[in-house]
Amino acid sequence: MSAATHAQDHGHHDDHAHHPTGLKRWLFTTNHKDIGTLYLWFSLTMFFMGGVMALLLRAELFQPGLQLINPEFFNSLTTVHGLVMVFGAIMPAWVGFANWLIPMQIGAADMAFPRMNNWSFWLVVPAAILLVASFFVPGGAAASGWTLYPPLIIQQGISIDMTILAVHILGASSIMGSINIITTILNLRAPGMTLMKMPLFVWTWLITAYLLIAVMPVLAGAVTMLLTDRHFGTSFFNAAGGGDPTMFMHIFWFFGHPEVYIMILPAFGVVSAIIPAFARKPLFGYASMVYATASIAILSFIVWGHHMFTVGMPAAGNLFFMYATMLIAVPTGVKIFNWIATMWQGSMTFETPMLFSIGFICLFTIGGFSGLVLAITPVDITLHNTYYVVAHFHYVLVSGALFTLFAGAYFWIPKFTGKMYNESLGKLHFWLSVIGFNIAFFPQHFLGLAGMPRRIPDYALQFAEWNMWSTIGAFIFGFSQLLFLYNMIECIRSNRKAADNPWEGADTLEWTHLPSPAPYHSFETAPVVK
Amino acid sequence: MDAFKAVFWSFFGVRKKAEYDKDAKQLTPQAVIAAGLVSAAVFVLVLFGIVKLVTR
Repeated sequence: MSAATHAQDHGHHDDHAHHPTGLKRWLFTTNHKDIGTLYLWFSLTMFFMGGVMALLLRAELFQPGLQLINPEFFNSLTTVHGLVMVFGAIMPAWVGFANWLIPMQIGAADMAFPRMNNWSFWLVVPAAILLVASFFVPGGAAASGWTLYPPLIIQQGISIDMTILAVHILGASSIMGSINIITTILNLRAPGMTLMKMPLFVWTWLITAYLLIAVMPVLAGAVTMLLTDRHFGTSFFNAAGGGDPTMFMHIFWFFGHPEVYIMILPAFGVVSAIIPAFARKPLFGYASMVYATASIAILSFIVWGHHMFTVGMPAAGNLFFMYATMLIAVPTGVKIFNWIATMWQGSMTFETPMLFSIGFICLFTIGGFSGLVLAITPVDITLHNTYYVVAHFHYVLVSGALFTLFAGAYFWIPKFTGKMYNESLGKLHFWLSVIGFNIAFFPQHFLGLAGMPRRIPDYALQFAEWNMWSTIGAFIFGFSQLLFLYNMIECIRSNRKAADNPWEGADTLEWTHLPSPAPYHSFETAPVVK
Repeated sequence: MDAFKAVFWSFFGVRKKAEYDKDAKQLTPQAVIAAGLVSAAVFVLVLFGIVKLVTR
């Protein structure tokens, strides 16, 4: 997509890479690669924490009855698993990729605001500590589900205040990160890198950053109102004082639905980089991909009501949100079509990044279809708060965001480290993940259709068999992630030198113009893009 | 008008190469964003109209 005229001098002045060593390097760093690395390790740590919580939940659900944990702790685990995975694992991981890749892909030296970049990262750490520490305060961690619905949330202890503070801090960090990303993309592009020549990962992040800026203050407003309801005598969401709990739901989901796209749009960008590279063909319909991403972003603001069909809305409201939600399948379908068309008659090879990308297309499509099922108001009224919903959003977010994060990690790790990962181990990781994931989550569709409610520690006997399978799958999936950790650490420590461009079909600036590993300061002189 | 046309086709997700090249030359980002926001508002109103029609 971006053919550059001048080959960049590979002999970068690495003596420019003066930086403190040890802990100080990481504490005070303003380098986009260091900060990207911090984000990626942080998110991997949170991913394993959230994963342990998920396995505890699944272990409890292995058999009917209460075996391992009490119901209150179960509710806390459900809540914090969701919050940690969304705010601690997936979002920071995408910011990590953005930090690493955006300057390299647009031909910039660094991000526009390096010091703010440092601050954005170091804010997420205390937020994560607050979330995890809330398990150890009297009353236990937040137990209302990640949606933090009142009135339940107003009644709990200090852990709710810790959660609210954590959400605030994470929101501030996201907003600063977004401002940085938008400014970088709009101002620091290399000569000739017009908007419509930017790699799709940059495009999807530009749109994601605008979404973040639009919705994070909404979430901040909602949780601030919760805080004042709890401590300052207001009654925004308290019916006894004239407030309305359903208003919280509207405000929360006005944030919550675009949030889904915040987690998934960068994934679209990654897949749009990987599939052309391994199909050895340019991306089919580049412009329509950009347009479709923008359309999805705009539509994401007018569908929030589909999370609330059972809450009680006028029929006209239900119908509006049903139609709007179904129409969002059009631009999403365009993307799926374009990826398949890119692969059509390509010279494909199936290295680990490609496997995870194809896995993403297949499984994300299943998640999309179950989303269409849930978009139909009368169907949703029976399926709402059942395991069908749990299955749906795990198909969207695990195979959507997580699989593409793995794809991106395997794809760019040669550029990040200058070393090559173990391909056989990567493929084993993929197959165990895809098998474990499907055993864990596909049966949850059946459980939901049979009427099993979500967020319960115990269940009726007729649900026992599929729950057992789901738990077995979850443990296969969970433990196979240790392979990823091992593969990454082994790769970093190994001597398998990666070529500057180990992937035949990769043609963005970081592959064509930079050595592996990429130098500390990517482009001291901006490349000229034709 | 061209900006509205481009936004309409972009929602559908398909555009002829020649037409796209023409758009890329002629349209400014400001025009596309303005057309996009207006089209989104029209989209909401059309949906709302359909809803009114079927709930009458």
